[in-house]
Amino acid sequence: MERTGMEQSHPAGAARARFNVLRWSAYAAALLVALSWAFILLDGNSGFGDLFRERTWQNAGQFVASLAGAGSGAPSPFVQAARWRETGQLALNTLAMSVLAMGIAGAGALVLLMPGARNVSDGTLGGAPSHTGRVVYAAVRIFYTLTRAVPELVWAMLIVFFLSPGIIPGALALGIHNLGIVGRLTSEVVENLDPAPARALRAAGASSPKVLLYGVFPQALPLFLTFLMYRWEVVIRTTVVVGFLNAGGLGREFRLRMSWFHYDDVGLLLVWYLLLVIAVDVLSAQLRRRVRWD
Amino acid sequence: MSLRRLQTWLTGPRLLTLGIVFALAWSLSRVDWQQPIGHTGGGAAALQVLLALFPPELSPEFLRICVVSSWHTLAYAVAGMSLAVALGLPLGVLASGVLAQSADGSGARRWTLMASVRFLLAAMRSVHELVWALLFVAAVGLSPMAAILAMAIPYAGILGRIYAEQLQDVPAEPVAALRTTGASSAHVLLYGYIPMALPDLLSYTFYRLECGIRAAAIMSFVGIDGIGFQIELSLADLLFRQVWTLLIFLVALVVAVDWWSSRVRRSMAY
Repeated sequence: MERTGMEQSHPAGAARARFNVLRWSAYAAALLVALSWAFILLDGNSGFGDLFRERTWQNAGQFVASLAGAGSGAPSPFVQAARWRETGQLALNTLAMSVLAMGIAGAGALVLLMPGARNVSDGTLGGAPSHTGRVVYAAVRIFYTLTRAVPELVWAMLIVFFLSPGIIPGALALGIHNLGIVGRLTSEVVENLDPAPARALRAAGASSPKVLLYGVFPQALPLFLTFLMYRWEVVIRTTVVVGFLNAGGLGREFRLRMSWFHYDDVGLLLVWYLLLVIAVDVLSAQLRRRVRWD
Repeated sequence: MSLRRLQTWLTGPRLLTLGIVFALAWSLSRVDWQQPIGHTGGGAAALQVLLALFPPELSPEFLRICVVSSWHTLAYAVAGMSLAVALGLPLGVLASGVLAQSADGSGARRWTLMASVRFLLAAMRSVHELVWALLFVAAVGLSPMAAILAMAIPYAGILGRIYAEQLQDVPAEPVAALRTTGASSAHVLLYGYIPMALPDLLSYTFYRLECGIRAAAIMSFVGIDGIGFQIELSLADLLFRQVWTLLIFLVALVVAVDWWSSRVRRSMAY
């Protein structure tokens, strides 16, 4: 490995160094998979053996039947208009939570768009490279890494300590996590865009907000919106999970009905959940197609 | 302004901006503004949590718990991901339709197969892994295997969809050349499609592993041991210094996988 430095300047050597990374990664991955499965299967309670018992599949079948409303005795929630209306309101709250979450993530990413891009901080886009710029750039990138690495659910666990239950804490937890993801992707878009318009504006004496507005936005906005739409598809699936922690919407009700063994109600909530997911997927695909306005 | 001029003015970006503003206003209207946003004493609690970072809990016994729970999270993530790849790759190959291209069957049959596999993949990924986990726990009881399956199903759904797109993006000429030599569908797949798509396939799989770490961490919610489980325990005891230490371990694990994955991606980009 001590020869790596010399090899890198050499095309053949560089190829060999690349090969080594791949080969060692393959060994490490294989070892990791083997160790993980060994660790899980050697534990007597892994539940692996249960997969091959008839009893397990009978229970699973019964559970699916009770989701569909079989065997509870009471009239199924699927045939009660009032239940559909109540749960529909919860579904709308869940949808609102996801939209607010995207609003938080999008607004944050727009504010940090410039300071979070390397080519802004080092002056490639015009403007003087400053020490402060570099420090702010590093701080923004660390902030993105931290917000991204902590899952939404853990953010939600922390946030319920300060905020009362409702749409806001759930939206905030989802928004913070997705800010890290959308922010990083958007900064990378700014780093990869053509610097000519921004430089020309700067040379013509445009102020920083004007360079942002006319030199960076027009190029970066379509991809930024595309990322937001992609994340929205993920976020709508996660709203339910964040809702488990008293954050309202479908998730809270899902968790409560689950713990009361009201499986037919759980089935109704799942239907709303799937309707929301499908609606957002379709809407996001439509909007993504529209966004390419050039 | 006449309606006609309004119509030409209100297209593309402007329409989208209006739509976004309207959507945000509507969601804010769903918030219950009657009740206070924060808890009474929420600010003091926030300050207490922040101050607990200096310093986090660093006693050897607790660090041991952190290392063990990090390993559990990693092991569940890797097991779940390997199962997801084992499920997602064959489904992705079927969904891409590359196997059926040798034109023996009718076009309609190929289309039906692709559409039904795509539908299956969409169904698998439409439910979040934690919802799968809760359903599995209710159906067959709590076990590590239930959590791993719960994670593998939606991840296989995502991997299968992306694998299918990546296999379809493979350049057609080398594959056609392989076919003219009389190679069977399996050979075309093994020596044509898979090797050419390999960098993309691996990159995406590694990226997903990073997401898998987070997914495994929150599997604690159904009672599976790992970093998330320990965070939940420490939060319940209001031991915020321990929470910080666990968060640091979680971030370090994600960053380490991210670093590994970017090394692999860079070494494959020619």
